[in-house]
Amino acid sequence: MTALPLHPDPAPALTLPPLGFAARRSRVLGVVRRDFAALRRSPIRIFEILFWPTVELLLWGFVTLFLRTQRVPFVVAFLLGAVLLWQVLQKASNEISIAFLEDIWSRNLLNVQVSPLSSTEYLVGLVLFSLGKVVFAVAMMAGLAYALYGFGVTSLGVGLVPFMGVLLLLGWSLGLVGIAAVLRFGENAQVIAWSLVFVVQPLAGIFYPVSVLPAPLRAVSWFLPASHVFEGMRTVMAGGAVPWDRLAWAGALDVVYLALTLALYAWALGYARRHGKLSRFGD
Amino acid sequence: MAILEATRLAKRFGPVTAVHDVSITVAEGEVAALLGPNGAGKSTTLHMLLGLITPDAGTITLFGMELARHRVEALSRVNFAASYVDLPGPLLVQEVIDVFARFYAVRRPKERVAEMIELLELGPLRRRRLMDLSSGQRTRVQLAKALVNAPRLLVLDEPTANLDPDAGDRIRGLLSRVARDSGAAMLITSHNMREVERMCDRIHFLAEGRVVAAGSAAELAGHYGAEDLEGVFLKVARG
Ligand SMILES: Nc1ncnc2c1ncn2[C@@H]1O[C@H](COP(=O)(O)OP(=O)(O)OP(=O)(O)O)[C@@H](O)[C@H]1O
Ligand SMILES: [Mg+2]
Repeated sequence: MTALPLHPDPAPALTLPPLGFAARRSRVLGVVRRDFAALRRSPIRIFEILFWPTVELLLWGFVTLFLRTQRVPFVVAFLLGAVLLWQVLQKASNEISIAFLEDIWSRNLLNVQVSPLSSTEYLVGLVLFSLGKVVFAVAMMAGLAYALYGFGVTSLGVGLVPFMGVLLLLGWSLGLVGIAAVLRFGENAQVIAWSLVFVVQPLAGIFYPVSVLPAPLRAVSWFLPASHVFEGMRTVMAGGAVPWDRLAWAGALDVVYLALTLALYAWALGYARRHGKLSRFGD
Repeated sequence: MAILEATRLAKRFGPVTAVHDVSITVAEGEVAALLGPNGAGKSTTLHMLLGLITPDAGTITLFGMELARHRVEALSRVNFAASYVDLPGPLLVQEVIDVFARFYAVRRPKERVAEMIELLELGPLRRRRLMDLSSGQRTRVQLAKALVNAPRLLVLDEPTANLDPDAGDRIRGLLSRVARDSGAAMLITSHNMREVERMCDRIHFLAEGRVVAAGSAAELAGHYGAEDLEGVFLKVARG
């Protein structure tokens, strides 16, 4: 082995001041690079990003074609729009919990946890990368929906951006709950990470209007940011205006939920540290 | 100056007292060992020093900063490797080192990665995936990761546990040179007595969560009337 390229007092020269902006950016982008490299090296995962959205799109596309022959009005566009937006929610939720679980599966969690990466930086990194994947998957689906069924996402108009924003924030909150559950209850709680988003599905009026729900569930759905997105989507597609007041309410709910789930994550991490759980994953 | 000062650490897991009233000081440039039988509380102690486990009682000061309040600054100057952790399997060797260079906010990550690859003789493995490496090769990548920020304190939990005698010997030689040339302090656990004798300036003996003896290998041998560290270990472990 050759002469050691180690610096006598490396702290100032070799690394950036740890609390400065440049160091924070380095750490956040480190998370993004890590996830990107992992994805690039796992063809199966790339396949998966494309597989489920395509299957769902085909399924609901043919359902709508069938319904069209039955002369059910508007339904065609509703369902395809719903499938697209549902994918935003589901992906946002699952992608960030997968990124966390991958550290457990590869027994890398301790390396991450003893690094100077703060919880916030770690989560910002996960969110940035999941954003990239969601945008990619949705763009791909939108193209496919247009090619196969002549459905253009642009029919959602200016509402598309806030619709997606509300769903992304909700998805990240749900993903955080999944991560917190794993930190608190151990790896078996990963089923929570996968399935929580499906609890939202029947309540949020994705494929049907919220008005079909019984009154108590309708009340619950009022507190789900996603309901307002899917209701709003149907309004816009039926030729109405974007319901900004409902979207503002949904956005406010998102902010509250995100604050609560961040607090939950912080508590679960503290719990895991107090009970020595971080080194027990993967056993 | 003490790089690490841990005072009166305690940790219980339910009915088990893993660590009880442990105080350890590691000086600048010192290579220290935590020794003791299985379940003595070595890993628990190291994990508390790294912020992975919150102590029930006691304080931890790294580089004069309290760990609980200056986590990011303190951990920036520390690093860690252990036989029971791994690095992300799908990534290439050079990608893994690069990612950790960024986690530790290294100024010129590309150059530093090249230096680490050279130092640990990882050139031929540079573009191999971690999951395809042997455990000895993985240990070298872990050490590249552990040295990437030129830590002032390197914490190693049984670093040579998975290695054959030759690979273990090379890693020991490398670590000794790192300690000498960079002045980094090290805190090591090991069940290999000769390794500890060869590398460590100071040894803290743990048994049932307590420090029962501390000193250099020679001092301990003298104190216990034993021939070598193995003899000390057997006397201490068997009470
Ligand atoms: N997260 C945990 N939950 C419950 N008990 C724990 C936990 N971590 C450690 N213990 C217990 O605390 C004690 C000390 O364990 P520790 O891993 O620190 O020992 P060690 O000295 O590192 O042993 P070894 O040489 O086998 O690695 C053991 O009795 C162990 O069972
Ligand atoms: Mg141990």
